[in-house]
Amino acid sequence: MSTIHHQNVPTISPARRGLLLAALAVLFLASGSAQNLPDVTAMSVEDLMNVQVTSVSKRTQKLADAAAAIYVISQDDIRRSGANSIPEALRLVPGIQVARIDENKWAISSRGFNGRFANKLLVLIDGRSVYTPLFSGVYWNDQDVMMEDVDRIEVIRGPGATLWGANAVNGVINIITKSSKSTQSALLTAGGGTEMRGFSNLRYGGKVGNDTYFRTYAKYFNVEPSWDPFLGQKANDDWDSLQGGFRADWTPSGPDSLTFQGDLHRSPYGETLTVPSLNAPYSNTYANEGRISGGNLLGRWNHTFDKSSTSLQVYFDRTNIVENTLFTDHQNIFDIDFQHTFHASDSQEFIWGLGYRSIRDSNDSSFVVSLQPDRNTLNQFSAFAQDEISLLDKRVQVTLGSKLEHNDFTGFEVEPNARVLLNITHNQSIWTAVSRAVRTPALTEEGLQLNSVVIPPGGPGNPTPLPAMVSVFGSNQFKSEDMLAYEVGYRMQVTSNLSADIATFYNNYTHLRSAEPGTPFVEVDPTPVHLIVPLTADNKMSGGTYGTELYADWRALPKWKLSGSYSYLKMNIRKNADSLDPTADDPGLSSPHNQFYVRSSLDVFKHLEHDLIVRYVDQLPGLNVPSYYSVDTHFSYRVPAGIEFSVGSENLLNRRHLEFAPDFINTSPTEVRRTIYGSITWRPEK
Amino acid sequence: MFFVLWDNDHLAMQVDVMMRRLRLLIIIPALLLAGAAPIAQAQDASTSAEYLVKAGFIYNFANLVQWPSTAFSQSDSPIVIAILGEDHFGTTLDRVLQDKKVNGRPFVVKRLKSVAELLKSVAELKDCQILFVSSSEMPHLSEAMQIVKGIPILTIGETPGFANRGGIINLVLEDNKVRFEVNVDAAKQADLNISSRLLALARIVQQGPADGRKTQ
Repeated sequence: MSTIHHQNVPTISPARRGLLLAALAVLFLASGSAQNLPDVTAMSVEDLMNVQVTSVSKRTQKLADAAAAIYVISQDDIRRSGANSIPEALRLVPGIQVARIDENKWAISSRGFNGRFANKLLVLIDGRSVYTPLFSGVYWNDQDVMMEDVDRIEVIRGPGATLWGANAVNGVINIITKSSKSTQSALLTAGGGTEMRGFSNLRYGGKVGNDTYFRTYAKYFNVEPSWDPFLGQKANDDWDSLQGGFRADWTPSGPDSLTFQGDLHRSPYGETLTVPSLNAPYSNTYANEGRISGGNLLGRWNHTFDKSSTSLQVYFDRTNIVENTLFTDHQNIFDIDFQHTFHASDSQEFIWGLGYRSIRDSNDSSFVVSLQPDRNTLNQFSAFAQDEISLLDKRVQVTLGSKLEHNDFTGFEVEPNARVLLNITHNQSIWTAVSRAVRTPALTEEGLQLNSVVIPPGGPGNPTPLPAMVSVFGSNQFKSEDMLAYEVGYRMQVTSNLSADIATFYNNYTHLRSAEPGTPFVEVDPTPVHLIVPLTADNKMSGGTYGTELYADWRALPKWKLSGSYSYLKMNIRKNADSLDPTADDPGLSSPHNQFYVRSSLDVFKHLEHDLIVRYVDQLPGLNVPSYYSVDTHFSYRVPAGIEFSVGSENLLNRRHLEFAPDFINTSPTEVRRTIYGSITWRPEK
Repeated sequence: MFFVLWDNDHLAMQVDVMMRRLRLLIIIPALLLAGAAPIAQAQDASTSAEYLVKAGFIYNFANLVQWPSTAFSQSDSPIVIAILGEDHFGTTLDRVLQDKKVNGRPFVVKRLKSVAELLKSVAELKDCQILFVSSSEMPHLSEAMQIVKGIPILTIGETPGFANRGGIINLVLEDNKVRFEVNVDAAKQADLNISSRLLALARIVQQGPADGRKTQ
């Protein structure tokens, strides 16, 4: 057991320590090497141990040096922003589009193609992919973690397919929780507000034997329904969630370490659903209830050799989606991954890996949504290799690698990349990359029938005497979507208190999904007799997107940090000449051209922190969503005995605004309101 | 058992007795200083909080670790710190230690690019008291440990597993704070006396089986 004996250790007075810590803060502002550093030699070991250093773990440092557009949200960022969910935290990432559809649905994407069923972003929680094979996207209302236990969220904009595989097309989000060794204290949070009626998080950490640490947690929240601007009444999008889990880390002194973790969750939610009907008035709008539940278990074994390391990870994930009257689906995913990193020579780090994933799906269809076959097993195999080569005294770093995957829909897929990073001077670097990524078909793209709308007989668009139902079909001819990405980025540490990061990209897409009309036919079952106007999934859209993302970080004063981001996106995606897709909307009209934010983080005085963020999101003409500003503010105040008070408000300026509109499944979007919330956190001191 | 529950005073006494006994047994290595130490190329890296704090730790370690008298050629010989591998300190360490003295000894910071260079300058190691092993040299750690074996040199690392693999002190980042581990056996073998005050704040680790060596 490690023990820390404070009692016998002479310490410097609190006043002097305060001065030194302040001096240390000043240093981070002191620009250039000519200036004087604070005298760290006057600080005791205890004091040094209490200094927060900005740099995060080795892996992240490595990512920060990576030839990719990367941004890391720290635990401190999450805490200071008051973010209570993963989507809220992701609003802090430059260039990521986060839009709330209703209280329990989000559209989140990187570099365009946003939607509730957005399919070009890969999301991992502690190495477990949370990407649903149903539509190649993420059920954001199914993804929750104890926000206090998050170590960091790493976000890569652009392709990451060589390392992470198919579907890491436009971005990768890695949510990484702390080791249970770092969450040994107990924690209790309780709060509520005008949007989240109440929430409570509870964690307990402990130790078994000498080198096994664990934590268990439980959290609950209850979200009040918001406002339906179309019906002019309170919406039905209430939501509550109960989740619990554990993590255990065995870290003996030897070369091995083991992690074992799992979660169980259940969250019922509401929505206002509009579905087509074959009888007049040909559509029904009603309040629908759904429920997502599930659980997962993950084990990871790391082993360090003299000059290399291996990692073996296995997980099992079960998800149950019960959307009453719409669709029921149960999925069991088993995944095993092996990875080996070694130094091929002084200047080369080689990493390779193998993976296998099995997906078993069973579903029950409804009149609106049906998926064939109703039982399905998919197998995916993958292998990758990547070499990182340092040249010219580590000034140049070249990364070459590729992934080879096999899936049941399209067979083999190859996803290579080449990246170069050049350190121009000690405080400036430039990088460039060319990569290929694919988005492999999802279950729905192969076997879906979605009855989206019924055109009344004799009305506009339907001269026949039969109701005409527009139905979207999957196709076993559907291919992978392809992307070739070209990226250039530049990073500069202007002074020790000012840094800037610019990333620009051009992505060229081919074989994007389109919906090709087929010959209408008469169907007698279900009754009444009706026409089916089929739209079948095909790959007849293509085009390019380009854009830039800027981020700058300036510590204006020792206790005041300003950061800001601006991103620009232009999408030129069109249907091919041979496509007859009548629904082919320009996806550029549902992704914001311009987004920016400015964030201020101020330590008002000791223990009182204030954060303010002003965000702007451009209009989405394709969805009739106007541009909006949002001002969010958060105060936190720490008092002795491990108690912290937190008060905040979101969307201070506007009373209400719309952020997005749903696609495919016609649920009513709701407006984001001005909200006020508060909470108390207690971390009992040991 | 990985961690050991230490009683400070008892430990200090134990170490002290051990040190005295060892001192008698030590054969002064017949290594002669040859050539001048490669002068540090003053790399102008921007200051990072992490490395400033690490520099503070190194100063404190110099203060709280006792070297055998054989480690210094004269009573006012400098404490020589060698940074092995990729240098993330830039000029921070040099500037922090500039004009500072511990027991009347000033500091000298030098840089060794690789383990190969460490091997070449093995003769100079007699006059080197602290070896900071950058994470870039971890693939060659065993070789580096072999080279410094038996020399009273305080090895400081910054990579997980460093202390388990024979390093004496390992600086580790935990929740954005710098913590440290001490391998007491390795310190004993290097004939270094680590103050109980420092040990009280450290996480004590033992040699891992990776090294193929059994410890008590």
